[in-house]
Amino acid sequence: MHFESESTWSWCGDLTARDRRNQWSYILWMLTWMLSFVAGMFLLEFDWVSGAFGYVVALVPSLLGVGAVMAFLRFVRQADELQRKIQVEALGWGFGAGAIFMFGYQLLEGAGLPAIDIADPAAVMFVSWALATVVLARRYA
Amino acid sequence: MNNRLRVLRAERNWSQAEVAGRLGVSRQTINAIETGKYDPSLPLAFGLARLFERLIEDVFDPDGAKQ
Repeated sequence: MHFESESTWSWCGDLTARDRRNQWSYILWMLTWMLSFVAGMFLLEFDWVSGAFGYVVALVPSLLGVGAVMAFLRFVRQADELQRKIQVEALGWGFGAGAIFMFGYQLLEGAGLPAIDIADPAAVMFVSWALATVVLARRYA
Repeated sequence: MNNRLRVLRAERNWSQAEVAGRLGVSRQTINAIETGKYDPSLPLAFGLARLFERLIEDVFDPDGAKQ
């Protein structure tokens, strides 16, 4: 019997059909989360919303963020076991880089460097996680 | 951990993608196991042994020379 795998290569390695579906799901959730965050920033920055509606606008991105986290957890839980290992290691790199940046820069601020935005360590965390995912996927290729 | 996956696969003329499809894992996983970069979980190791109709110790050898 001929039986071809449905797996296909992507930026985070060779994925089964289910993993690819779950990956697209969490990517779309994350994009929606980021877009709502940027939209919320604009709306609040330019005072286009205020009062109670301002709080609603501020909270919507967080709710979408919960959806993104749930989608990512579904991806990891259902992932092929090598992909799960890659993700755990990549999350370790991402979390570690973010934490080191956050605490390290706090000292550098004390030494005289300009203050940074509270979201910057999270950006470092995200970028490091994405880079680590690509590098680790190549390692196991 | 060493294994005889490549040999067993060659005996049946199966591609890595075929083995991966039969076990519901990615081709990358099968390749990583074959090249010794990744040791499979116990369920996947048993799944591989069952697929090739061998005992698990006939497929995987923690001490032997690499195939």
